[in-house]
Amino acid sequence: MKRAKTLLVSVLLAVSALGATAQGAFALTGDVWSNSDSFSSRCLGFTDTYPQQLYTLATGQMALLGYKPIVGALGPSFTRSAFLSDVFYDYAVYAHTHGDNYWAASGWPNVDSAILQDPGPSRCSNFSLDAIRSSAIKAATLGTPYNLVIMSTCSLGSSSSTMPDAFQIQKTKTSTQRKFYLGYSTETYDSSALRFERAFWSYLNGASNHVRTVSQAFTYAVSIGGYAVPDSANPFQPNWWGNPTYNGTPG
Amino acid sequence: MSAGQLTAASSTSAGSFPAVGEAARAAQSLVKETVLNANDSSEVFARAHAARDALGFPAGSKSAGRHVHDGLQNTDYDEVTEVDAVGQTITVAQFDAAGHLLAALRFDSPSGSAPAVTGDAAALSAQRGLAALGVTVRGQARLDVNPAAGGWDVHWDRAQDGFAVRGDETRVHVWPDGRIQSVARVEHPLTAAPTRSLGQAEAQQAVIRQVDKWFAGKDSGYMVGGLDLEWVGPNAAFDSSKVGTAEAPYRLAWVANIKPSGAASSYVRLITLFVDAGDGTVIGGDIVE
Repeated sequence: MKRAKTLLVSVLLAVSALGATAQGAFALTGDVWSNSDSFSSRCLGFTDTYPQQLYTLATGQMALLGYKPIVGALGPSFTRSAFLSDVFYDYAVYAHTHGDNYWAASGWPNVDSAILQDPGPSRCSNFSLDAIRSSAIKAATLGTPYNLVIMSTCSLGSSSSTMPDAFQIQKTKTSTQRKFYLGYSTETYDSSALRFERAFWSYLNGASNHVRTVSQAFTYAVSIGGYAVPDSANPFQPNWWGNPTYNGTPG
Repeated sequence: MSAGQLTAASSTSAGSFPAVGEAARAAQSLVKETVLNANDSSEVFARAHAARDALGFPAGSKSAGRHVHDGLQNTDYDEVTEVDAVGQTITVAQFDAAGHLLAALRFDSPSGSAPAVTGDAAALSAQRGLAALGVTVRGQARLDVNPAAGGWDVHWDRAQDGFAVRGDETRVHVWPDGRIQSVARVEHPLTAAPTRSLGQAEAQQAVIRQVDKWFAGKDSGYMVGGLDLEWVGPNAAFDSSKVGTAEAPYRLAWVANIKPSGAASSYVRLITLFVDAGDGTVIGGDIVE
């Protein structure tokens, strides 16, 4: 992979310069990010428990796929700078936060999808301060490929989302590369995201030796039904792009 | 562990910090399965084969059965999979302890050459499939386009005593070519309806009291949207002490949709509140971030 080659050059330089070992240079990092301060008692008057539940689920399940180390953060350490400085090294990325398909800086009709970083302990979210634009993510990835990207947010699985391209994942369901992007197309209740993701991970990691594919896990999770919706304009519609035969493991 | 019992996920990975390692270890033990033998569990296999045939699913070169304790989804079920000649799973059927169908699905893809069916034709196809399964549905189907797989999602939402049961449904996904890809039935147990119910005005006051308390001193306002009686599952949405507790039977509740305005509207689209129809307490809710 391009990332490995880039890393190899960096590591060899570092090893020769510092005499360090190359152990860990080929870490198969998965980043799991979850915004909790926006949904805290300070900002809403109650503590929304879903960011913690979804974070815990994703960290445990991503590890079972073989991503190691699992880094990222729940809460204030989920910053734009941390996300953008880590993302190049990631093989998998999961984010649970507010997401949407915003107008690009160039204006309508161009879209530049974004997620919001955690605002930290002293304020609440503000788009102009907290947006992590897909264009900024794309720039930070330096064109490197990604295995598994899950945007556990509203809207970033819709056809207008520019988030898949930030990770070099084309909007096709026939890719032959080891890549898979998952997002929700509409405005999605947290309870439905939790139900879906529990079923998704349960199926994907529910057999030994990673014999199941991510697209099968997606199909299973959609097929079990039972998803509450905010209104008829927002049916529960997760979506994916990538390789239908990929099993979700890193590398 | 008994001889037939398999622990599902085999890879291990401690995370980079303790909380992740704990989560990984916990996750490892959450999905366990026990192999079902076709002779000893012939009724499970028979149900699965009947469902497969009723829905027009392909037959595999062999069937495999297992009982699954799924700690992630907090459920137990019997599952029969059909496997093709190269060992790929092509269909799955899951049943609860009473033998009721939970879900049946196929993993292959439709041919892209057939003309796409209309919503009405998809609903008819879904009805035929359910009738062949022996599943009864009532009322008007709700239709949604399926953006991931194409075709239509056909839903029959469950109601009891005239009130919707939140999330419960019979759902059929119909491919663009009119064939059925999946069927699912979701039906939670319900408590008895309360002997005395809060009126809508009382419920509205309870909602306003709660949300005023939440939003006091915040740089945000709100509007109360719909307020309807529904059967809902008490949950941990606003109460971390209830995370991980067993799922309780559904209760009749007033369901209020709160639309934030001001600062909060830029990061929270909707807060949904469940107010118990009997005693007026908040028993859970939901959030669209």
